[in-house]
Amino acid sequence: MARSSTHKRSWIGWVFFTDLWGGLRLTLRYMFSKTITHHYPDFEKWVPYPRHRGHHFIKTNDEGDVNCVACELCSKICPCDCITVIPFEDAKGNRRPEVFDIDLARCLYCGLCEDACPADAIKLGQEYEVSSTRSENLVVHLEDLIAAPRKSDNGGQVMAAKLVKDEAPKSVTTGTSDGFDWWERISRKE
Amino acid sequence: MGMSYGMENFIAILPLLVKMAVVVFVLLLLPLPLTWIERKIAAHIQQRPGPMRVGWHGLLQPLADAIKLLTKEDHIPTDADRLLFRMAPVVALVPPFVVFVAIPFGEPVRLFGVDITLSMSNMNVGLLFILAVSGIGVFGVILAGWASNSKYAVLGSLRSIAQMISYEIPMGFSVIGVVMLANSMNLSDIVAAQSGVWNIVYQPIGFFVFFVAGLAEAQRIPFDLPEAEGDLGAGYHTEYSGIRFSLFALSEYLVVVILAILNVLLFFGGWQHSPFFLTPSLWFLLKIGFFIWVFMWFRFTFPRYRYDQLMTIGWKVLLPLSLLNILVSGIFMF
Repeated sequence: MARSSTHKRSWIGWVFFTDLWGGLRLTLRYMFSKTITHHYPDFEKWVPYPRHRGHHFIKTNDEGDVNCVACELCSKICPCDCITVIPFEDAKGNRRPEVFDIDLARCLYCGLCEDACPADAIKLGQEYEVSSTRSENLVVHLEDLIAAPRKSDNGGQVMAAKLVKDEAPKSVTTGTSDGFDWWERISRKE
Repeated sequence: MGMSYGMENFIAILPLLVKMAVVVFVLLLLPLPLTWIERKIAAHIQQRPGPMRVGWHGLLQPLADAIKLLTKEDHIPTDADRLLFRMAPVVALVPPFVVFVAIPFGEPVRLFGVDITLSMSNMNVGLLFILAVSGIGVFGVILAGWASNSKYAVLGSLRSIAQMISYEIPMGFSVIGVVMLANSMNLSDIVAAQSGVWNIVYQPIGFFVFFVAGLAEAQRIPFDLPEAEGDLGAGYHTEYSGIRFSLFALSEYLVVVILAILNVLLFFGGWQHSPFFLTPSLWFLLKIGFFIWVFMWFRFTFPRYRYDQLMTIGWKVLLPLSLLNILVSGIFMF
């Protein structure tokens, strides 16, 4: 049995398994401590920080038109080539996207489209539940992107939630409370 | 005349039949709550809630798992020895069931004017019988490993064999001190001999050796080398699936239960000294439950020993300790 020579222990500790008792004491304490996992998706849901890069959304201006000028810079810079933009001229004579599709199955949520956008149109929000039972549903279109949830001011908490089962299962936050700070809860006070 | 004679015979063996039915029923169902408890203990040691979604706090999870295991494909590898492959799970399962023949669960009770012993057979060599029969359990492992015709299974069963044979020796020696104190191998007598003080007081070394050898015998952490997932797949039952796999899992859980029972019977006074609010048998079951919990607690605390360390502990530590225990007990009794 290789014992480190730098850390010399007395033979008494070795005979009476002080190390093993220490380990058992630790696991016993943990056995009766509070669990730290999120009860996701049934009872709780993690709402990410506003800086989170999740599901995309496209901003609209005061006139109700999308900010996007269909310059296709996002589509050009996209490393996984998942954005399709086809421009057209709308009734007001502005260049706007006729088609704006994002294949969420290919997207790696790097946020380069957001950086490249000159018109402050495409953004990455806090939404992260995009699961679906059909892969076609993972291609989102312009109207989906306009309707997608915006960034919210709060974030970084665990909120009460419940699971909604349908073709696109989601955990939906319930109640109005701000939730709790999970990081605060798991920090060990030694 | 013949009719009434047969009837009398039947009434005479009726309690035995009932006891058999109860034991078999309980033993077949016992792994269901045990898997749930084990998963919950594992989860809480790791600060997570464990199974939560099937039933209240996942209580029906073992049932769901059982249904899954029973409906899964029962696959036999092409090059396997089909007869031995089918036999092995049964061979592994029988000894743990047979062991329960000799285990008493309390003082005889009087029911409907008949004295009923709470054991199927009050053997005078009960302890020897249990050790011998659990030794047979290794054959299931050997057959499973050999019949699977798979590297991992053979290596796992080789490890099992070496480990079980090595640890049976200190295990057998460690109970000799208890037998010396009780002057009997009858488990009821051994419990009766502890009416004053539990054997753990006189036999701390014997208990230590028995407990550690028992962990190795049940192939549980820290001695679960036969099933070391990291290096062996799943050990001797790598190739097993479905119902046959669940038979192995069942036999492993029963071995754990048997060890808990033996620890209580031999060293912790069996059903003696029950507190006023518990019947002796319930007190006995409570202590068994405590030991099962301790086994699970150990499982999720310790890492696995290396193979040479396992052999060193068995032959160079436990065997001399158990011999020393016999010597010291003998000197004190003399």
